[in-house]
Amino acid sequence: MAKILIVEDDEKLRNELEIFLNNNGYKAESLKTFNNTINDILKINPDLVLLDINLPGTDGEYVCKEIRKNSSMPIIMVTSRDNEVDELLSINYGADHYITKPFNIQILLAKIGAILRRTNMYGENFEKIDAKDFVLNISKSTIEKNGKEIELTKNEFRILKYLVQNREKIVSRDDIMECLWDSESFIDDNTLTVNITRLRNKLEELNLKELLETKRGQGYILKRREN
Amino acid sequence: MRFIDFIKEKVLTILLLTFALITIEIFLMAYVVDNFIKIYIPVVIIVLYFLSITVEYYKKKKFYKNLYKTLDSLEEKYLIAEIIDNPNFLEGKILKDIILQTDKSMLENVNKYKYLQEDYKEYIELWIHEIKIPIAASKMVVANNKNEVTKSIDEELDKLENYVEQALFYARSNNVEKDYYIRKCSLKNIVNESIKKNKNNLIQEKISIDIYNLEQEVNTDSKWVVFILNQIIQNSIKYKKQNADAKIEIYSEKKKENVILYIKDSGIGIKKGEITRVFEKGFTGTNGRIVGKKSTGIGLYLCKKLCDKLRITRKLNSMENEGTEIRLVFPINSYMDMK
Repeated sequence: MAKILIVEDDEKLRNELEIFLNNNGYKAESLKTFNNTINDILKINPDLVLLDINLPGTDGEYVCKEIRKNSSMPIIMVTSRDNEVDELLSINYGADHYITKPFNIQILLAKIGAILRRTNMYGENFEKIDAKDFVLNISKSTIEKNGKEIELTKNEFRILKYLVQNREKIVSRDDIMECLWDSESFIDDNTLTVNITRLRNKLEELNLKELLETKRGQGYILKRREN
Repeated sequence: MRFIDFIKEKVLTILLLTFALITIEIFLMAYVVDNFIKIYIPVVIIVLYFLSITVEYYKKKKFYKNLYKTLDSLEEKYLIAEIIDNPNFLEGKILKDIILQTDKSMLENVNKYKYLQEDYKEYIELWIHEIKIPIAASKMVVANNKNEVTKSIDEELDKLENYVEQALFYARSNNVEKDYYIRKCSLKNIVNESIKKNKNNLIQEKISIDIYNLEQEVNTDSKWVVFILNQIIQNSIKYKKQNADAKIEIYSEKKKENVILYIKDSGIGIKKGEITRVFEKGFTGTNGRIVGKKSTGIGLYLCKKLCDKLRITRKLNSMENEGTEIRLVFPINSYMDMK
């Protein structure tokens, strides 16, 4: 599991981020004091740092520069200053990415995923998601089961991935749409229905049709097969 | 300065002089004096006097004419005292001294307000950055506790974020200094960004999005343009037709000298007489007065101001009950003639 270090001085934001990242398959930790930020970060040596620009006593840009002297760990700068100049400066100081508050959390997750994949530390794990009843192959955009492989379109794949991430929870149509919109596929209600129908048909080919249930008026739920 | 006006100023001296000459003539007549002297004295006095005021007239005329000419050609008229030559007569010197002192005091006053405004702007920017932290924290709480209630709070947080953003850009739009950074940006990324920002609302209101032909690059500040599009999209959402399929269409077209971005909606449209006024500050119009719309008349006004700074021209077409189309025209060589 990738270890993410949160360096943020606002306590509530820090705690909520920690909970959120822990709920989404990462091992999140955070710094509570900022007297020795640079050494603390280097000592913990996380797989990725979320670094706030405004820190008490020092500033994130300096911290970023200092870390870069000793380590190539991925750094995402978090700031509430929203302008192009700051963004460029952060990149110059060696940050891998720059994200502004208040952030879209789905996008934050996507960025973290992309950077971790790029640094290739968790390359293998990110290639495939094992959903027990079947396997999602991210690089090929397919579902695999017992050696059988079925190709999914981009949207079908995203929907199924979202359902897997929220397994055994009711997911509303709006939630699915928001997830698709976050990845810049701005589909409407009818297209969603079409996509779900196609996804169902493909699941049927693998005898998995009964896993995806419709909850009238509420949305969908992806169940686990009972053994 | 006309000669006749100048003479009028001298009327008292001339009257006194005439009176003096008449008394002298009377005295001269009372004594036996040569006729030549009787004529010579007044003639010499009159000629010399007129000679002296003519010299004075031309001196002053030259100075004031010059002064007016410089003043007319000057854009910042208060700088006049710094520019004019030193006058060679007393009144002129007094005048220059007075102007200099007035200018100094005015500049001090203006600087005071400049400083106050700068200070205020800095405070607003700081405040905006501060308030984004609790908004971000609240959004995280919502993300960790997803349910109907928090979803509703999330929508309100979106609105809050929007208003905050508006305040930030308002502060920026009034700034004389350059506050933007021009570079090559992908139009597609800008459009996607602004749609994503409004996704909650767009999905909730069941507005379908149709974007195409956006593979263009423009030289601009993407953050500013995202904000501008954001305002436009929010208007499209606000003024959509009730009980009808709503749609927003965004596409671009590359011309020889510019790239045009079209944002078309199928909303309630704008009344004919009001189209030219929608970019005015505080203009709400018939649509804005519909119950529940809460138009502030700031959004489009800010769009206009920011567009002007970025050299983006905009056109708005609208038909009542048909929809509205806004065109943003990005000049291709915009970054060469950027102020």
